Amino acid sequence: MSSVSKSPWVIHYDGSSCNGCDIEVLAALTPLYDVERFGIINTGNPKHADIFLVTGSVNEQNIDVVKEIYDQMLEPKVVVACGICACSAGIFHDCYNIIGGVDEAIPVDVYVPGCAVRPEAIIDGVVQGLAILEEKSKKLAASRKKGR
Amino acid sequence: MELIVSLVGVPCLAALLMLIARADRARDAITVISAVCIGVLSIAFAAVYLKEGATYIALPDSCANPLGLACFFVEIAIGACILAYAIRYKRMLAASLAIVQIVIAIWLETSLLDGHAFSTQIRIDELTVIMVLIIGIVGSGICVYALGYMKDFQRYHADCKDRRPVFFALMFVFLGAMFTIVFSDNMLLIYAAWEVTTLCSFLLIGFTKTGEAIDNAFRQIVMNMLGGIAFQAAIVLAAVNGLPLVFSEFLMAGALSADTAAAGLFAVPIVLLAFAGMTKAAQMPFHTWLLGAMVAPTPTSALLHSSTMVKAGVFLLIKLSPLFLVFPIASGMVVLVGGLTFLFSSFLAISQSNAKRVLAYSTIANLGLITACAGVGTPEAIWAAIFLVIFHAVAKSLLFLCVGTAEHRIGSRDIEDMDELFERMPRLARFMMLGIMVMFIAPFGMLVSKWAALSSFAATGHVVLLVLLAFGSAATFMFWGKWLGKLAGIAAHRPSEEVKVSRAEWTAIALMAALAVACCIGMPFISSSSVEPYLAGVYGAAAPVIGFDNMAIMGIVSAFIVAVIFGTLGKAKKNIVPVYMAGITVDSSKRTFKGSFGQAREATSRNWYLEGIFGEKRLDKPATAITAAVLVVGIVASVFTGASVDAASLSLYIQAVSLHESAFATLAGIVAFLVIGPVLGCLLAGVDRIVSARMQGRVGPPLLQPYYDVRKLIAKDDASVNTVEGTYVTMALVFTLIAGGVFFGGGNFLMCVFLVTLSALFFVLAAYSSRSTYAEIGADREILQVMSYEPMILFVAIGMMLAVGTFDVAGLFQSELPMIVAAWPIFIGLLFVLTIKLRKSPFDLSYSHHAHQELVKGVTTEMSGRTLAKVEVMHWCENVLFMAWIAMFFICSEPVSVVLGAIAAVLVYLFEIWIDNNFARVKWQACLKWAWIVSLVAGFVNILGLVLYIVFM
Repeated sequence: MSSVSKSPWVIHYDGSSCNGCDIEVLAALTPLYDVERFGIINTGNPKHADIFLVTGSVNEQNIDVVKEIYDQMLEPKVVVACGICACSAGIFHDCYNIIGGVDEAIPVDVYVPGCAVRPEAIIDGVVQGLAILEEKSKKLAASRKKGR
Repeated sequence: MELIVSLVGVPCLAALLMLIARADRARDAITVISAVCIGVLSIAFAAVYLKEGATYIALPDSCANPLGLACFFVEIAIGACILAYAIRYKRMLAASLAIVQIVIAIWLETSLLDGHAFSTQIRIDELTVIMVLIIGIVGSGICVYALGYMKDFQRYHADCKDRRPVFFALMFVFLGAMFTIVFSDNMLLIYAAWEVTTLCSFLLIGFTKTGEAIDNAFRQIVMNMLGGIAFQAAIVLAAVNGLPLVFSEFLMAGALSADTAAAGLFAVPIVLLAFAGMTKAAQMPFHTWLLGAMVAPTPTSALLHSSTMVKAGVFLLIKLSPLFLVFPIASGMVVLVGGLTFLFSSFLAISQSNAKRVLAYSTIANLGLITACAGVGTPEAIWAAIFLVIFHAVAKSLLFLCVGTAEHRIGSRDIEDMDELFERMPRLARFMMLGIMVMFIAPFGMLVSKWAALSSFAATGHVVLLVLLAFGSAATFMFWGKWLGKLAGIAAHRPSEEVKVSRAEWTAIALMAALAVACCIGMPFISSSSVEPYLAGVYGAAAPVIGFDNMAIMGIVSAFIVAVIFGTLGKAKKNIVPVYMAGITVDSSKRTFKGSFGQAREATSRNWYLEGIFGEKRLDKPATAITAAVLVVGIVASVFTGASVDAASLSLYIQAVSLHESAFATLAGIVAFLVIGPVLGCLLAGVDRIVSARMQGRVGPPLLQPYYDVRKLIAKDDASVNTVEGTYVTMALVFTLIAGGVFFGGGNFLMCVFLVTLSALFFVLAAYSSRSTYAEIGADREILQVMSYEPMILFVAIGMMLAVGTFDVAGLFQSELPMIVAAWPIFIGLLFVLTIKLRKSPFDLSYSHHAHQELVKGVTTEMSGRTLAKVEVMHWCENVLFMAWIAMFFICSEPVSVVLGAIAAVLVYLFEIWIDNNFARVKWQACLKWAWIVSLVAGFVNILGLVLYIVFM
């Protein structure tokens, strides 16, 4: 494991969720699950973050916000769609304003289904994301070397 | 002798030629030639007289008598001129003062001085040389600058009559009068030249002849004529009582009169002369004339503020300073007025957005400090005062010239309009930044002088003055810092607007900048070649307050900063990314985002002016009342007590011993800190996170988590919102390391504190440069936090000096008892502000390590990757340094005390973590208020107690 996967900083964005998944994301930070054990911090700032946790689906209002947060995160970065709404818009997928899952806006690396998604599942998803992060990090390092 | 005559003569000749020459080109030629002449002459003068020490020149009678008559006629002419203006504009107060002045002059000339002969007319010493260089180089540089400026000025005021010949003539007369003041030893001659400067500035302030200009000109003349009449009254009293009218003899006799009956005769003239000096130096309650002088064209302001007029006032006070040592009432009055002026003007400057008014308040504040130094009167204080004069002259003229040029290009002198000047006028903005930095931050000269002033105040136990200085300095950081921040912003990468700046302006600006840098780097040499010999001449013996090595280190750091600002800043290659707007960005270069109704809205932020706390409405009246009361009490007390007050020898006068002032030790300290800082700091940060987690019932991350974080950040993609942010942060890190080096090398604690502040400034600049609203709010709050904790940190240094007898950290190992015994109230105060410095809740306003930061990480919002990694490492180092400050309180000559110190530091660190986890964040108002209340109480009580203990035990 390289340093990247020992220190995954997270930014959490709530799309149009019912807040169920958001509560679970926060629950993961609480003493019971304590994700800081793995060096995970909720940064609240895309420029500091490595992992983008999105809850809820993407709609007309927030699609640009989701895209912008994603764009402002620096490589290497990983997107984790938390909950079924983030994965595929879930029970809201027929709503007039809903575009769909997060992958309608940005490339998603890990899908974590559930309604609401359980904290254990979130942690599991992030850990899967770490492997992808590791891979991307290696690619970045290689391209940097090439660039020089 | 020829040099002296030509130094006075050339400006006067130039002034006459100005009045004749009407064409632009002739004026250009005359100005440039005379300016160069004056500059060269003053350098030649310095070369000739610097070696000779104090020189007295007696004029032959054939010269002296006409000179006396000339003085008399000049005085009468000035009085008549002012009277004429006063009658024309119906100003009764000015008219009556002019009449009083004329009457006294006639009385003096016809009855009192009839047949009085002067043994010498001219006296030259090292201080004269310094003043001549300032007037000759800075003053004539400003005249050259005025060429370009006044062309633009005439273009903008095309409807006004072209009165430039008069303008330039007045500027040169001003220089001539200033030369006369610094040369002459004849009090009447000094007074005549004194009144010439008053009249010249009256005419220059009223130059535009608008209603406002006339009002302000008359305010100036009334205040300065009060001073002038006080000067006259001092001469009259001296003449009546048979005291010498040769200034040097007057000073000598005054100093020797201590504890004799003659002292009573000197007390009143001295207090009157001090009063005259303070009116000219725009001390409160007479500060309004200098503020009003801002209506004049900018070269006038530059001239008034830097090399002439106000400098005449402080020159007189510095000359008087040996007398303040033996006349306690006069000394107390001058010290209090100076100190209060420094405090209040620094506060008031915070509330101003007009750049020229900020500069004016800062001038008044610095003059206040010089005045206070003169009032203290010890050689150390005068050393500081002279350097303050030098650096203030060069830095302030540079700033005025920059503001003047910017005003003509951007059409405003408001600081808010100087937004993004860094990209609109890249060269000018760099010069302005340099000027501002020289004014207020270590390692530049002004702050080194302030440092010396602080040392000398501490050594003489001026408790009240120390408190005034500590709070005033903190305010200084705020108003300069936020202005720098405005300049530093980079957003749209706009084309440069500075192509139209004239060559004359660039030449003058570059000259001032070069002078400022040269003075900063050459400070040890200026000290040994002129200031120390002067003090040795006046006081018999003098050593610099700050040792050669420390000055040299500061010089090197200054050179480094200048090299970066003008060399590499902005040239780094970066992958530029847009700023964070917390939503949908419409156009990042315009800082617009999509508003709630879908339209594009601009994200803007203004500087903080804190008008409710530091506004003129709130502070101006009390400040005027208090200082006026001090003046009245001082003068009345002098008149009534006269000789009955015993000349006080200083009750406390510590000769600060420097134990460990060596560049080598600092270097070794830096090397040591390069290892200790990051390693220990990383572990401390890890402990912090684990302990915090345990307090919340969690397990927490591994101990080395902070190290993993930093390694990850370094591996991230390299991107930045601009090309300068990374450079600023690197500099902040470097200065933290140097600060740590100074501390762990056993060096001067104050120097360490100043370098930490310097590091904070560059950190803040990095945030401001992004011109992102969140980062800017973080930066504003950070500046406010620096202002909140700075007084307490200075009190720690003062407490250390009084308790252990030295500012040097190495000195702690020689004291029998640890500092905590004598300075426990200060220790408690330090604990309080440490929470701010460590950015722990409840004071984690500017940014915090926790996820609950509402401003998406404040200062660090736009920082990412390597830049953020550097910030992290910087904080590790800072934490180690602050903990070492705590340990410092427990260290004494017993080697075991180091262990005790380490234990105390660990305990305090755990205590801070406990506070962090148990208190909710407060508003900035509460942060400022409580930090200052705690600092004031703990600092004042402790310092007062220590001084009383030393004096009486």
